[in-house]
Formats: sequence, C-alpha cells, structure tokens
Amino acid sequence: MTGFEALYPFLYPPADEVPGDDDAGEREVFAEARRSTREKVAEIAALREQVLATHAEELVACAQAMAGAFGTGGRLFSFGNGGSSTDAQAVAEMFSAPGHPGAGLPAIALTADVAVLTALSNDVSFEVVFARPLAASGRAGDIALGLSTSGNSANVLRAFAEARRQGMLTVGLAGYDGGRMAEADTVDHLFVMPSSSVHRIQEAQTTVYQVLGELTLRALSCPGRPARGPDSPG
Amino acid sequence: MIRELTRADVEEVFLRRTTATTALADEADRIGDACHAMAARFYRGGRLITFGNGAAAADAAHLAVEFVHPVIMGKRALPAVSLVTDPATLTGIARRSGFEDTFAAQLRTHARPDDIAVGISADGACVNVARALGEAHDRGLLTVALVGGDGGTVAALADERPTARLDHLLRARSGDPYVVKEVHVTIYHVLWELAHVFLERPGRAS
Repeated sequence: MTGFEALYPFLYPPADEVPGDDDAGEREVFAEARRSTREKVAEIAALREQVLATHAEELVACAQAMAGAFGTGGRLFSFGNGGSSTDAQAVAEMFSAPGHPGAGLPAIALTADVAVLTALSNDVSFEVVFARPLAASGRAGDIALGLSTSGNSANVLRAFAEARRQGMLTVGLAGYDGGRMAEADTVDHLFVMPSSSVHRIQEAQTTVYQVLGELTLRALSCPGRPARGPDSPG
Repeated sequence: MIRELTRADVEEVFLRRTTATTALADEADRIGDACHAMAARFYRGGRLITFGNGAAAADAAHLAVEFVHPVIMGKRALPAVSLVTDPATLTGIARRSGFEDTFAAQLRTHARPDDIAVGISADGACVNVARALGEAHDRGLLTVALVGGDGGTVAALADERPTARLDHLLRARSGDPYVVKEVHVTIYHVLWELAHVFLERPGRAS
C-alpha cells in the first residue's frame, strides 16, 4: 500500500474491478489508466491541503492587499507563458467578467494581445514582452500577478522587477522550490506549490488564483459568480 | 468599505473543493474510456479540436498546448488546435451568424471525420459548445464534453435518441464554477497523459 492509498483508501477500490474484455493486455492498460487517474486525484487533493496549511495566512494578506488596490482604483495585469498564459487570461476574466450585471474589476491579461507580444519579441526580445507593457501602462497602486511553474521564466521575472520599480503590488505563483522567483526580492506575495509535477503545480495554482479571486471579491463585498446544479457527489 | 478577511474565510473556500476533487476518482473508468478512444483517433491521424467560453476558453487553449508542446520530455507532439484564439474569426462569425455558431462554423470549415472535438463548459449551459459538439458528431468526429453542475444542454446531447451525439461525458461533481474549473484542469491533464499511455501500446489503440 502506498502512502497515498493509506491516506485516501476510498480512492482505491479492489484490484479485481476491471472492465470486461477478453484481451489481458488491453485489460492491463485500462487498469493502469484507472490507477493513474486515482493516483493523480489523490496527489492534487494532498497538494491542495498542503498549500492551505502553508499559505493560509499569506492568502488572506494577499487578498486583503488586492482588495485594497482595487478599492483605490488599481488595475490588475496578469502574465505567464504556455499553460500559464491561459491562466493569466482566466485571472483577468475572473475579475473583469463578473457573471452578473454591472461592472467588473479592471483586469487585463498581457498574454492576450498578440500584436504587442509579437512586436516586442520581434523587435526587442521575448524577455521584455510583459515588462514593456507594464512600463507603458502600469501605475503605482496597480497589481501585477505572474505565474511560472518553474519560477524561472525570465520574462515573468523582468515584469516583476518593472512592477516593483513602479510601486505596484506584486503577486507570484510558482512550483517546485520557487526557483528564481523565490530568490528575487520583487514579489510581495509569493505562493509556491510544493510539487515536482508541472500538471499538479498548475492545478494547485488554479486553486490559488481562484481562491485569491473569491477572497478579494468577498473583501470588496462584490457578488460572487452564480452557481448551478448539484454541489455534492452523485 | 473593505471587509477584513480571516483565516476562516480561506479555510471555507478550500473546504468547498474537497468533495468534488475526491469524487473525480469515481470518473476513472469514464476518463480511461475517453482516452482510449482519443488515442485511436490520433493513431488514425485525427487531430484534437477544443473550445469553450470565458474561463473555459482559457482551458481550451491550455488543453491544446498540452498536446502540441508536452511538458514532459520525450513525449511526442500531437496535432491539436483550439477554436478560441483568433478574435478576428470569432467576432466575424458572431457578427454574421450569431454567437451560437462561433465554434460550429469553425468545425464545418476545418474538421475531418477522424478528428476529436472536446467542448468545455462549467455549467453545461453553453449553446455554442453544445451546437459544435452536435455538429462534430454528425460529421463523424469523436465527441468529448467536460461539464459540471447538472451538465445542462451539453450533457443532454448524451441522452439524444435514437443516437447519442456525445461519446464521452466527463462531469465535475459541483455546481460551483470555480471548483468545476479546477476539477477540469485535472481531468484534461489526465486526458493528455493517458492518451499517450494508450497510444504508446502498438496495436492497442484500435
């Protein structure tokens, strides 16, 4: 029995529950697939618990600071590469498209403007694609939220340096041991997901930024996003 | 007036995640079946086509990049494209044929019968996602939906008679759109991983 099985026995039904199939090899691959899925579920459940245990106070402090920034007219800029670029867009959408009538909070993903991204990459370097738009549009009191699973993305680190220079609130999400993001002194609120799996890190990062969003909206007494359908298993 | 947050606030929002997260283990068989079918399509030269609205549009783009540029070294790139990344196309279709046609119109133009259509909708109430999945099924594509809540009009495709127009329905057991999104991220990471597991067994992905 692995550590995860001991922690989450309900995730591991008896090994003889396999799909009806004549091919033993095929059956083995399906069994492996089922095991793998349950293992990943146990991993992310445990990682979320660990993130809560490690970062609860910092999440409260960060959401309070973000609410303060939005409350005094600040705007949020989000950025990241690859999968994290899509997270940056989800962050911006979470604040700016509130899911109820009325205005949202001003949030912009720096990853969504292909004209700016390609202009800077072509004319200067990929390292400046987030720092330059912040230099152009950022103001003291704004929020810079960057994601990098390794913590080492050069363009994310450059953006934090620029944001700090301008007096923005800086929020960083990283994985592994936090990489260079953890060594930089440019991040006010740093959240490191203690995992070596890029996938689990991204899943925990999604939780962290959505929790930050929910708490920020709660502090500002904004209505949340409407829920729909069942909330319990079955 | 800004409210003072406490540790109890953060504990409450985390607690809201636990049931839906662990309930995902019950989807293991359905996820395995979907991955097996996806591997068969890739084996035949099919491509992955993803779509969704709002936060799920970001997920659609994320799912596509997982396949095109795997984060795990040594895994082969597989053909994948999301239908959410080109605002010129999206707004052009929305203006001429309505928002409900934004993804279906792109499928009519680009899809081939061997392809895979994955639609993502946190509450299942996205008409353009449902229409695209139906269109995809009618064109011979494998259809996969990631939903939450009661599954809405998207999940209803699986109940159509005489023929269901949805091959694989994967549902997060929550009505909270934030929680559903987090479960979906885990689901599509597993979809990527297991599609490779099935694909790497020669002769198995048939």
